[in-house]
Parts: sequence; C-alpha cells; structure tokens
Amino acid sequence: MMSSNFRAWPLFLLLTVLSLPLVTMYVYLFVDTVTDTTAGSLIPDRFTLQHWRFLWEAPETGRVSIWTVTLNTFVFAICTTLVNVSASVTAGYALSRLNMPFKRFFLGGILTLHAFPTITLIISIFLILQMIGLYNTLIGVILVKTALELPFGIWIMKGFFDNVPWEIEMAGLQDGASRFTVWWKLVLPQVQPGIAALAVFVFLSAWSEFILPQVLAPSGSAQVLSTYLSNLIFDDVKPDFNMFKSVGVFYALPVIVIYLIFNRQLMNIYGGGTKG
Amino acid sequence: MRISIENFTKSFGDTTVIEDMSLEIGDGEMLALLGPSGCGKSTTLFAICGIHRMNAGRLLFGDADVTEVSSQKRNVGVVFQNYALYPHMNVYENIAFPLKVRKESRAEIDRKVQEIAGLVHIGELLRRRPMQLSGGQQQRVALARALIRKPDILLLDEPLANLDAKLRLEMRSEIRRIQLATGITAVLVTHDQVEAMSMCDRIALMDKGRIVQLSTPKDMYENPSSDFVAGFLGNPPIAFLEGAAANGGFRLANSQVTLPVPSGIDMPGEGAPMRFGVRPEFFQPDNPLKVSGKVSFVETQGREELYDVTLENGAVLRSIQSQSAGFRLGEEVSWGIAQDRILAFGPDGNRL
Amino acid sequence: MRRAHLLGLGFLSPALVIIVMLFLVPVLLTVMFSFTNMSTATGISGGAYEINSASLRKLADAGAQESFLDALGQEAFVVDDAGITAVAAAYGEQFANEIGSQMLGERFTSRRDLERAFRKLKSRPRSTRDIKKAADLFKRSVLNVRFETADGLVGAVTGNGIAMTPDQQELLTRTIYTGWSWTTDNFALMTQIPYIWRVAGNTVMYVVLTLSVSVGLGLFLAITTFYLPSLPAASFRAIWFLPRILPNVIFVLMWKWLAWDTGFISSFLANFGVAPRNWMLDTDIHAWVFIVLINGMVGASLGMILFGSAIKAIPQPMLYASEVDGASRWQQIRYIILPQLRWPIMFICAYSTLSLMTSFEYILLSTDGGPGGATEVWSLMAFHTALDNYAGNLQYGLGAAMALVLVIVGILASLVYLRIFNFNDLVAKPRIEQ
Repeated sequence: MMSSNFRAWPLFLLLTVLSLPLVTMYVYLFVDTVTDTTAGSLIPDRFTLQHWRFLWEAPETGRVSIWTVTLNTFVFAICTTLVNVSASVTAGYALSRLNMPFKRFFLGGILTLHAFPTITLIISIFLILQMIGLYNTLIGVILVKTALELPFGIWIMKGFFDNVPWEIEMAGLQDGASRFTVWWKLVLPQVQPGIAALAVFVFLSAWSEFILPQVLAPSGSAQVLSTYLSNLIFDDVKPDFNMFKSVGVFYALPVIVIYLIFNRQLMNIYGGGTKG
Repeated sequence: MRISIENFTKSFGDTTVIEDMSLEIGDGEMLALLGPSGCGKSTTLFAICGIHRMNAGRLLFGDADVTEVSSQKRNVGVVFQNYALYPHMNVYENIAFPLKVRKESRAEIDRKVQEIAGLVHIGELLRRRPMQLSGGQQQRVALARALIRKPDILLLDEPLANLDAKLRLEMRSEIRRIQLATGITAVLVTHDQVEAMSMCDRIALMDKGRIVQLSTPKDMYENPSSDFVAGFLGNPPIAFLEGAAANGGFRLANSQVTLPVPSGIDMPGEGAPMRFGVRPEFFQPDNPLKVSGKVSFVETQGREELYDVTLENGAVLRSIQSQSAGFRLGEEVSWGIAQDRILAFGPDGNRL
Repeated sequence: MRRAHLLGLGFLSPALVIIVMLFLVPVLLTVMFSFTNMSTATGISGGAYEINSASLRKLADAGAQESFLDALGQEAFVVDDAGITAVAAAYGEQFANEIGSQMLGERFTSRRDLERAFRKLKSRPRSTRDIKKAADLFKRSVLNVRFETADGLVGAVTGNGIAMTPDQQELLTRTIYTGWSWTTDNFALMTQIPYIWRVAGNTVMYVVLTLSVSVGLGLFLAITTFYLPSLPAASFRAIWFLPRILPNVIFVLMWKWLAWDTGFISSFLANFGVAPRNWMLDTDIHAWVFIVLINGMVGASLGMILFGSAIKAIPQPMLYASEVDGASRWQQIRYIILPQLRWPIMFICAYSTLSLMTSFEYILLSTDGGPGGATEVWSLMAFHTALDNYAGNLQYGLGAAMALVLVIVGILASLVYLRIFNFNDLVAKPRIEQ
C-alpha cells in the first residue's frame, strides 16, 4: 500500500540488507555454473561451459545418465500430478456437494490427515513396498507421493467447489442434466483455475521430493534429479560446487519457469491453507 | 398445468420450516408466494422444482403425482435470484443447454433458441458471455433458458431483487407479458408486495411456514384477514391504533376518545383489546370522522405528500394527500377517517 | 441406500482407496512394526531355524545347559533310507540292500562304530577308504541345516536322538530363530538410549527456534513489503518466496556452498586473516544457526504469503482512517494490522509445530544431525535408526517405535486442531436433496 503519510525508503534499505545473503546465494548459484574462480577469490574470472559437461558426456561407471534421471523425474512428477488431481477433483466434489453416509467422518478424516505429518510413516511405507514388491520402482514412489499429497488436494478442491454457487447446479438439474453432467459440464469449468493451481502445486511438490525417492527407490534406474544431485554431493570427496550448481540449476529450471508463469496461482494456493 | 400441494411438511434437521401446507395453483395462473424472509416461500419453491424433498405430503402436477420424481424429470423451468447463468458459456450455449442435455438435433436447437430469443428480446446478444450483460439482459437470458424446453411450470425466485429500480419496473411488465404470451403456470417468490400485486393473478401470503391468506391482490389489499396481512400490503404502510372495545365503540388507549366501529362487524366483549388499521389514503382532511393531533412528519414525494399525525395519546396516523395543502411540521390539525374503510382487528390479530 | 449416496461414495472411492492403502495402512503398520524386532538381520519376511556356531553361542548366552549344547553340536550316524539310497548309487544295490535289511534304523555315535558294523556285512566294499566314505553317507547332524518351521527343527533334533525337556525345546526354538518376532522391548530399549533425552531436547529447541524465526521473519516480510511501492514489494516477495519452492536439495546446496571451507564465508573472511573452515559443521552453535536459518527461511516464505494475503484483506479505508486519526506506522501495525493476523499466525504455529517436529529433510541434507549428534532431532533419529545408519544393521522395529511416538503426537495434535479451527462450520449440508 502506498500512503504518502509514511516513508518507504527506510524499509527498503532494511529489506535490502536482510535479503543480501539470499541474493548472494542466488547470484552465485547461476554465475558459478558458467565461470571459474581462482581459489581464494570471490570474483569469477573465466567463462566456461565445462561445468555443464554432465549434459553431454557419458556418465561415469555406476552412474546413470542425467537424461534418464530427468525423464524419471518428469514421469514421477506428471504421474503424481495426474493421479492426485483426478482423485482430488472427484473426492473434493463429493465432500463439498454430494449426499453420502458418514460424510462428517470422511471430512474429519481428511482434515486430520491433512494436518498429519506424513513423513513419520516412511518407515512402515518402506517395509510395505518391500513386502508387495514395489520397492525400488517409480510406480511405488508415485503411489506413495500421490497418497501423501491427497488429503491436501482434496481439501483444496473442496474449497474451490464450495465457492461455486449452488444455483448453477440447481439450474443445471432443472435444465434436465444429471448430477454427473452437472458436475462435468457446469461445475468443473468453474473450478478450472483451482485445478490448474493444484496441478502446478502437486507437480512442483513431486518435482522437489527428495526423501521418498531416496528411501523407497534408491537404485540407479529409478533415480530422480533430487537423489541424483544429493548422491553427487555426498559421494564426492573433493566437492566441485560449480558442477553441483550446474546440476542444481538444470534441476531448478522447470521450477523457475513454472514460478514465472504461475506466480499468482502459486501464491494463492500456498496462501490458501497448506502445510508448512 | 395445475399444481396441487397437499399437506406439505418440510424440516431441516430439528427445525420445521413448513408444516402441513396445502395450496392449489390453477392452469395458466400466475401466483405469488409473498412473505418476509424466512417464511418458507423459497423452501416451497424448491420443493416444487424438486431440489428439496418433501418430508411429508404430496405434490401433483395436473393429475400426476410428482412427489418422488427427480428435478430433471419434472419439466419445471426456474429463474433463480442471481439468474445462475453458466459463466463459461455464451448466451446461446446457456439457452441451448437444456436442449443439448436432451440430445436434440443441432438444427432443432438453433430454431428454438432463435424463437425464444425473439420472445424475450435478446436476439442480438447471443454471442456474448453472461459477464458482459446488464442485470436486465441476464434476467431475460435466464427466462429464455427456463422457457426454451416448454416447461409445464415456470418458477421465479425473487427475479427482480438484483435489479435497479428502473429496470425492475420494466422487467415486471416483461415477465408478465411473457407469462401471458406463453400461457404457462407460474409461481413467483418475492418479499416485495408491489411485485406480487402488480404481476400476479393471486397472492399466497406466507408467515412462519403457513399461508395466512390466499386471494387476489385487490381483495387482499381491501380485505386483509389479519393485521399481519394488512401491515404487509400497502405502501406507505397502514397505521394502527391500539385500544379496546367500550360501549359498542372503540376507545383509544390512554385516551378518552372513542371512535365508532365500521358497520357489520362482530364486536368482542366489553374491554377486550382491539386494533384499528387506517390506510393513509383514508385519513384525509375532508372525511367526517375527525381526530385531532399534531403534524409530526412531512415528506414530499413529488406528486403526493405524506404526513404523520401524532394524536394526543401518542399514537400515529398516516395520511397521503395529492393536493399540496402545505401543512407544516408541528401544525395542529383535525382530519377525518373514512369510517367504512377502517379495518378492525380483534385481540388475536384476526379481522373482526 | 439412495442413488445420490452411491454417487457420492463413487466420487469419493478412488481417493479413499489410495488413502487407505498408503496412508491408513502405514499408520496401523507403524504400530505393528513397533512391536517387532525387525531389522536387517531378521529380514522382513519370515525367518528360519538353523543351529550353527553363532546360534550355539547365543544359546549359551541364553543359559542352555552345557550337556544340551554338546548334544546339539555332536554328529551322529543314523542308518536311514536316504543314506541307503546314496550307498546304492555309489557302491551298488547289493551292499545297499544288505545294509537296509540288517541295520535300518540303527544309530551310532561315532563313525568308527558304524565302520565296524559295515565290516560284518558280506557285500561290503573291499577297501577301507570306501567303507569310511560309505559310513560318511550316514552322517547326520542338525548343525548348519536350515529348517523352515520350528516343528521341522524339533523333529530333526529328536530324530538325532537328542532328548529335550519342553523348557529346552522352547529355549532352542526361540533363541535360534533368524526371522523377526513380536516384542515389547522397543520402548524399553528406546529409553535406554543414552542420548535420547538430548535428542528430545534438540527437537523442542529446533521447533521453538525455527518457528520463532519463521513467524517473526514472515511477519516482518509481509508487513514491510505491504508498505513498499508495488515493484520493489514484488521483487522482495519473489526473493523470499523462492526458498519455499526451490527443491530442498538445491536450497541446502546453496547454504553448503556458503559455509564450505572453500566457500563464500571462508573466502570472504580470508581477506581478514581468518582461517578457512567448514562454518556449518565446525561447532555445535554454528550448526544450529544454519539449521534454524535454513528451516526458518523456508517457513518465513510461507508465513510471508499467508500473512500478506491476510493484510491485503484489510479494508483500505480502515488504514486510511487510522492515519487520519493520527496513528504512526508502528501504531498502525500494532493496532490495525497485527490484530487481523491473529488467525493466520495461529494457523502457521499449529501447522508448523507439527510439521517441524516430524520433518527432517533439511537437517538430513545439511548437517545430517552433526557435528557429533548436536543437531539430531527425534524424527531424524528414527530415520537413522530404521533406514540409514553407518553400522549397517537397520533396526526397523525400533525405528518404527520411535516414529510411533511422533504418529501419536501427530494424531492428537490434528484432533486438537480440528477443535480449534471449528470443524462444524466446515460441514455444510448439501442444498440439493436428491
């Protein structure tokens, strides 16, 4: 808010100082990927594309190609998004609008699970996946990630459906449409922005996920970018931060692109009651 | 199509909204469900169109019992208060939707849409989105959508509530014109007595889940069955005098003044409390039955002037006069009541 | 059941199936696993029974009698069908038939006795070496043999002529079982871990400090950006929103680079003669500062957005009115803005407490609980115990018991939140009744 009664520049100064460490890290994150710096100096002095060689060089023995890993990450994130959004859209509508027995119980359950810290379950999920043979598979991680994000998705979608005027549905029924047609043709178009926001949210969340793939699918063939990068960092005796950062920027690119495009929706969904 | 509601009861959880209500609406008639908010008029409308289920009672369209029939199969057109146009469809698609879900052919849909658009005068708006329309235009689209599949019954839920004063006047006559043109049986839900009186053949006035009076607008205005009805109809509203029966007349409360009662009423026993209702148009300077008081309020409405006269016991009578007589605030006046037009109510509020 | 009910349940069922399978079942199984001694050693499927030198030692530790142990360890020679078949294959039917007809079922405690018995047979092989070898075919021992069931083991032991008392039998089958079994020891074990209270204390400290930074910084960011012109405000919001959406591996990588001994802080301070070191892991305090900053900034991102949208919802005239009434900026914040943020602050505190208490990703990636366990929190301890430790023996059961503590806290807290955040308001009755 701009008000002529208060001066803005002291705040501006304060925020700038406070943001300096973060900005420094961001700037060096990008600059270091294409430059070299003489040891002991802070100012990069040579331009190079060496740090990006992981993109075109054959992987070291024992490592998987970055492209396989990227493909895995996309498959993981997109499948999670698709399954999660479809289940959230139907369940959110049911809880928002439809008559059913035990509705209170379901709603309370979803809300409890929404607040419930899912990561505590990782030990038993690890054992379950081992027992049913989905350990070390992408499918297993997708299912688990979908399930853990589902209460949030359902809750958010219920909120979006709650905001659709009842009269639209009533009018649809009067016009002779079945409850399903009303949902499909009249209600869903109204919550399209909500669906898009949820999809972006789930995609980003899956794209960034680290613990689940690390624990549930650690082997090379099911590796995703987060585990790939963290393995790179942990395995190295003499860390090559320029290379780590290049992989990191490569990994972060879709996130940044999505952030730039869906800025508004993201703010909305992160602000609309989410987990910390 | 004739509508009969028989012994209709509706409750939400523990609260009973409507209890044992019966109502008959004739074929081609336009009936108003009039009443204050919370009286159950919208609940009745939702029961007729099938959005709500009836807890008890029967609903008949013509001779067919439709109590258990779903909304989709009742063939009832509804215009909702906020019109409930589908925001993602343009006007044409909105109007065509009821036919589309019935899987009618493209050509047939097109012909019917053009026809109904002509009827409600929106032929040039068909490609627009609801957002781009004015309130009155949205109203017409909603009407067209409700009417396009030739419903047996048209329900209107506060159709004019969201319009500004000028448009309201216009749409009032428009809706009535369209109803008469199609000959459809219509039910109008409203809290506005002017709408009910100006648009409908009959009015069912509701209060606390019951129909308190069912008659034509004129009859309801002139012969209200209770002080509630008398107070609900009329603008400016009727004024009430409190008092009691005394010596075959009406003694004003806290006063020695006694007024004669209108002819042909059953007087309650001596000393029983009574109310007199006097409409503003029947309290005029030149009527014979004089009462005196002081002008306590003056409002110029242009063509007419509205006066409040406070009597010596503190009661207030209202008068509306067309000639500008130029009475001043605080002026002592002695005006007369038209004796035959006095509405006398007994202790229970019912008309005597 | 009405059709509408079926429609509702139908719409709900896909989500319901997924949630039950991968959410509720894990909760129940966490409870179950915490009452087992599952570990890498026992495996997670069933186990087997095998007497070997290790299990004999375990038996001795468990207090089995010397004589019983000796008997188990001894070899025996039993003339049975399996041995006879083997002899037939190696030395011909005749010898085999003769053994079968004269000696079947006999038992010898040493090979010498069996050899002596063989020498009495007519069709025995000529050479002494062959007789020795033939006798070896009847060597029977319970040592180093896997039995799938306890009955199999007991049968084999008694078949070898070792008599057991019921007590001994029970001790044997319990001690030498290699699979997992039910136990309530995990909770006692947990309290015996020497550093457990330190970990609990760390957890509380971690939640309190991180939450303070999140809420404080989040409030500060939301309010200051609110007072800035829109372009700088949007830039600052973008800078501070990134920690929330950047993948955690990358965010921690940036901090690691900052703190590394060849990283930014070291290089920068080298100009002032400070020796380079790993600033994140060199002392406990430093480790904590980084942990709290990393997690706090992620939390502040969320706080900034939530508080920001709550501030935006304050009607503009209300703020103008306060200014006309002579409020300074601080008074405006104190009396107009902060009261509007009560609910969002409560919300953040409630949710973050729970999620901070149980999340460990950022700690795992940055300090991994170090240096020397200084930043180990409860959830990380459970993770280390069950899924990732240097010793290599992953103790699933014990780890599940540790997680169960958090699960119980989580469920209780969630139920409390349901109360606070007025659950009843959220359950609206459907307005279409068909």
